[in-house]
Order: sequence, then C-alpha cells, then structure tokens
Amino acid sequence: MSEGRPVHLTVNGTATSMDELPDDELLLDTLRWRLGLKGTKEGCRTGDCGACTVLVDGETTLSCLTLAREVEGTSITTVEAVARDPVGGAVVAAFAESGALQCGYCTPGFVMALTGLLKEGGRETPLPRLLAELGGNLCRCTGYAAIARAVELARARAP
Amino acid sequence: MAPFVLVTPETVEEAIRELARDARTPTAVLAGGTDLLLDLDEGRLEADRVVSLRRLPWRTLSWDGSVLTIGSTLPLRALEADPSLALRHPALLDAVRAVGGVALRHRATVGGNLGRSAPASDLVPVLLVLDAEVEVVGPSGLRSVEVDRFVRASRETALARAELIRSVRFPEPRPSAYLWQRVRPANDISQLSVAVAFSPSDRRWRIALGGVPPRPLLVPEAAAALGGPVPEEIEVREAAAVMAAHRSLVRDRRASDEYRRKLVGVLLARAVRAATRIGGPPR
Ligand SMILES: Cc1cc2nc3c(=O)[nH]c(=O)nc-3n(C[C@H](O)[C@H](O)[C@H](O)COP(=O)(O)OP(=O)(O)OC[C@H]3O[C@@H](n4cnc5c(N)ncnc54)[C@H](O)[C@@H]3O)c2cc1C
Ligand code: FES
Ligand code: FES
Repeated sequence: MSEGRPVHLTVNGTATSMDELPDDELLLDTLRWRLGLKGTKEGCRTGDCGACTVLVDGETTLSCLTLAREVEGTSITTVEAVARDPVGGAVVAAFAESGALQCGYCTPGFVMALTGLLKEGGRETPLPRLLAELGGNLCRCTGYAAIARAVELARARAP
Repeated sequence: MAPFVLVTPETVEEAIRELARDARTPTAVLAGGTDLLLDLDEGRLEADRVVSLRRLPWRTLSWDGSVLTIGSTLPLRALEADPSLALRHPALLDAVRAVGGVALRHRATVGGNLGRSAPASDLVPVLLVLDAEVEVVGPSGLRSVEVDRFVRASRETALARAELIRSVRFPEPRPSAYLWQRVRPANDISQLSVAVAFSPSDRRWRIALGGVPPRPLLVPEAAAALGGPVPEEIEVREAAAVMAAHRSLVRDRRASDEYRRKLVGVLLARAVRAATRIGGPPR
C-alpha cells in the first residue's frame, strides 16, 4: 500500500525520484532491488550485523531498519560512491592495503561505518573508542585484527 | 512485513487527530523504527496504519538552569554530543552509549525506548534513578508521569489511546553511574544492569536493576543501606546482599539466576564507586 506520492532521494549524488514506492519498503530493498546498488549487503535484516550500513545525510544508518519513505529528501551515500569522498577513499585504501577482508561480505558496512565515524570527528577519537564504535559491525572471517589495522591506518591518513 | 499505510503529520495536533480517529484500524507510532519495524516484521505487532513522528518539533535537548529536557524524537546519538551530559548525568551518557551501535543510535530515540519499555532497556534504569518524568501529550492536553508509573511491563506503558510521549524531564543533576554486562558489547542486550544515583536535594541514593523481567525496577530496600554521599564499604556490601536476594534475578535465555546473583553485587559496588568519583558528590 502506498500514499502514492513519489519519493525523492539523492543517491550517490544523483537525484532520484521513485513512483509507486510501497510505504513499507525498507531502504535496504530500495537500494538493492529498485536501484540495483548491491554493494550494500543484507546480513541479518534485524539490526545486528551492520552489513547494510549507508550514510544518510552523512550519518551512518542501518538501511534494514529504515523505511525508504522516512528518509525522503535526504542524500544517501552507498559503498559504490564512498571513494569519491576523500575520507571514504582513505578508508577504502586502508582496507585494501591492510588485507582487512576475506569473503568481503562485511566490508561495505565496515567501510561506511568507519567513513561516517571519521567524518563525524573520529580522527580525534582515541583508537580504542573508535574501535568500540565499530562494534555494531560483525565480521565472520577475519578475526578483526586486520580490520583494526585498517582502522588505525585510515584514522592516521584521512584528510 | 504486512503492508501498511504511512502517515506523516506535520504538527502535533494533526498527529493526535490521526491517532484518535478510527479506533478500528490498528495503528502504530513510528519514531526511529528500530523496535517497531522488527515488531511488525516478526508479527508481534500489527498495524494497517503507521503514524511517523519525523516531522514533529521534538528533536530537542534543552537545559533550563540545571533541569534537562529531552525531546522524545531526538536520536540517541545526538545526546552524546551534549557537552554537559558527562558531568551532570554521567549515568545517562553511559546508558545511551550502551544502546546498540552508532548507526542504530543515529535513528533510535529516547521516546522509542520508553514506548517499547523493554525489560532490558538500558535507558529505563537510569531514568528511574534520576527521577525522570515523562511528558505526555494527547487529546486532553499535556500530563506528566513519573517513569516508575509510566513503564508497566514489556510493550506496556501508561499511555492512553492517542497519547504520545513528547519529552522526558530530568529534575536535577546527580552523581550517577550505569553498568551493564552482556555477551557482545555492541548490538546486544544486557544480561543484567545496575544504575545508581545520589540526590543532592533529599540526600538519598536510588538503585535500579535492569536486564531482568518483568521490567527495570527501583530497589529502595537496597538504596536504604547506603548512607551519605560517599557510602562506607560495609554499607555497599549490605546493599549488594539485598540486591542479590531480589526476586527479579531469574534464569532466562540470556543468563542463569546464579550468575546474576553473583554479578549484581559486583556491578553495584563498581557503580557506587564510579558515581562517587565522577562529578564528585556534594559533601
Ligand atoms: C540490533 C539492536 C540492538 C539494540 N540494542 C539495544 C540496547 O542495547 N539497549 C536498549 O535499550 N535497546 C536496544 N535496542 C532497542 C531499540 O533500539 C531502542 O529501544 C530504541 O531506543 C527504540 O527507539 P526507536 O525510536 O527506534 O523506537 P521505535 O521503534 O520507533 O518505537 C518503539 C515503540 O515505542 C513507540 N513510540 C516511539 N516513539 C513514541 C512516542 N514519542 N510516543 C509514543 N509512543 C512512541 C512505538 O509505537 C513503538 O511501540 C536494540 C535494537 C536493535 C534492533
Ligand atoms: S542487515 Fe542491517 S544490520 Fe544486518
Ligand atoms: S570478511 Fe567475511 S564477513 Fe568479514
């Protein structure tokens, strides 16, 4: 069911207007299935894993717990465009150089979460606290050591 | 998720009107949605209509002298940015930071936490020891309810039909602390938590217990054992013994009763120590 109004979002810098968007559609599904942006992952759909993290007006947001209509009018950044941002670019490079991924399923979520934290002023945050603030993201492969190295590297290098 | 119609009122009056009309259509209120969307998706709640609060002017935080008022739709993450919270209400800051992870807290709200009234809510125990008041608005105007009467049981509050939580008011800054135990630090639910605060005006302690059914509770019998602003070691031990005997410390899927009884005294002693250190209580 729908109120019928089109929904306007700016996604990765492009103004997007969607008719017929059901009122109960989750942002995660809009991104993946309507817009084909499959970089954003669905890990649990219950808010536990962080794989679906995107930036909504710069703030990290779990797209599996957010209705697309609730973020109408905002600007959304997904992993597909994060490297266009200098901080996002530094985060992506740090993950690659640190080998901070194995299967890679959790990586888009970690990259978005860390980019959001660093842009929010996380470069001033002590490293242990910054790592704790990534606690909403789960990785089942790496054992986190390489991810922690990537976080340290990105924090040191982010402009 | 069963389909619903989303309504987004522009004003408080319109929101109340939306909630008051048509009692037969199951209607839910949406703030951050971090509880509600899962409840709808997993069938614990049903709604044909969902009323979103996102356009209401309640994303506020204000200090009137030392009285703090937090608007119900303020995302929890925004509370963390307030420079005086750590000094005036340290337990509140710790409780906010205990909720989910950062991305969750960008959407989760204070009003939603109270609306859900979860037994393991991290905010309710702290609201209890700070004597917070819930300011409620509805068809017959504004009223104020103390948290202890507002929170009844899981998903059960003192809200009447078509009423909304507008804000939460904290009457005075208090030396306070909040400690929790859980398996995973972020995005997990507390197995047990303890909040403590000392009121400079009546010179008494409050102690609350969280993470256990049926709801977070004040434990005045334990608080009575604590004397002045800096309790003696023996008083803390006595309070801990009272806590350990509390009927709420049951076995469930998150922890055994035995574990909880052991843990509660440890958390209490650490919390009292933290509260008497941070902010330095008046002597
Ligand atoms: C992965 C995960 C981890 C979590 N971890 C924690 C945790 O560690 N600690 C914790 O305490 N909670 C936790 N939660 C629960 C939840 O995030 C919090 O309770 C949050 O504060 C709810 O706020 P919300 O704005 O998202 O509420 P919503 O989901 O929007 O609403 C919750 C309920 O309150 C009602 N409601 C909301 N606002 C109002 C209002 N203004 N007036 C009247 N009724 C209202 C809604 O109708 C609904 O019934 C977690 C949830 C998830 C998914
Ligand atoms: S898919 Fe959203 S948190 Fe796991
Ligand atoms: S690399 Fe596989 S889940 Fe993190």
